[in-house]
Amino acid sequence: MKECIKVKRLLSRYLDKETGDADSALVEAHIDICPLCKKELSELSRIKELILGKERRTLPEDYLVCRLREKIASEQYTEKRLSLVGIGSLSRRLIPVPVATIILLITFLFLISTGQQVSESSLEDNILSGAPVTTEAALGLILGVQD
Amino acid sequence: MNEDNLYIEQFLNGEEKGFEMLVRKYQDRALNIVYSLIGRDRESEDITQEAFLKVYRSLRSFRQRCRFSTWFYRIVVNMTYDFLRRRQNFLSNEGVLKRSVASSASPRDALFRKEKEQMIQEALERVPLKFRVALVLKDIEGLSYIEIARVLRCSIGTVESKIYRARQFLKAELLKSGGGAI
Repeated sequence: MKECIKVKRLLSRYLDKETGDADSALVEAHIDICPLCKKELSELSRIKELILGKERRTLPEDYLVCRLREKIASEQYTEKRLSLVGIGSLSRRLIPVPVATIILLITFLFLISTGQQVSESSLEDNILSGAPVTTEAALGLILGVQD
Repeated sequence: MNEDNLYIEQFLNGEEKGFEMLVRKYQDRALNIVYSLIGRDRESEDITQEAFLKVYRSLRSFRQRCRFSTWFYRIVVNMTYDFLRRRQNFLSNEGVLKRSVASSASPRDALFRKEKEQMIQEALERVPLKFRVALVLKDIEGLSYIEIARVLRCSIGTVESKIYRARQFLKAELLKSGGGAI
């Protein structure tokens, strides 16, 4: 029984011809006297045969080479075009920086101008409606200075 | 210098032919590994193509600390892992693949063979991936334990145990599906 456990661990390896001489001899001697381990070896061997006999896929000889050529050529063409217009790989990585800066700047200017209009109009509304307005604010409106 | 190194040398000297020779040599091997792992024709073809594209892009940085085949199989296995992680159930089963079935087989034999083939493939796909990979590299690609250990970056003992467990799983799965194949 103890030997069965040891041999069972070796069976798969034995089947793959990966055991040394001593282990191979041990397996062979054991399966001669142990029907259970012999059966196990025969089943493992059948499993191996099934996988070995599995249908193999083949690609038409130049099919993949042609597909790869096309793919590589198209990648190289894109790369070349980008570098021709001065957009190399480094510059492409750097593009987001100026773009983000410009977007931020435009947003900032827009917000400032909107804020200015809102506060100017609310001050004018206050003056026209007769609501109390501080002298400083009224002077600011006249001189075009904001808080 | 072995054949692969010669092709690599040609490629590094600017000859695309070197790369193409590597593709011709390894395309079916890669394809069969991927197919045995995922069981889908078209996707196996795409993964194989992507693996070669990766080789094309990185061959210049390949330091040759291991054999090209080891490095290449590692790429193939990793790309298959990535695919299986992303996999969804929309996959088709078409493709331009030819199967090496004997053309003389009668339609009845062909049908029987196809069913059996499908049963084995489905059983194989139910074997946990970590064990299945080792078994496929052994029985489909015929690598030795030491080569598998290098591809999977593990010990020979681990390879041995993975293959043994894969076979046990496969046996159980085939018995579950009727046991006719065993």
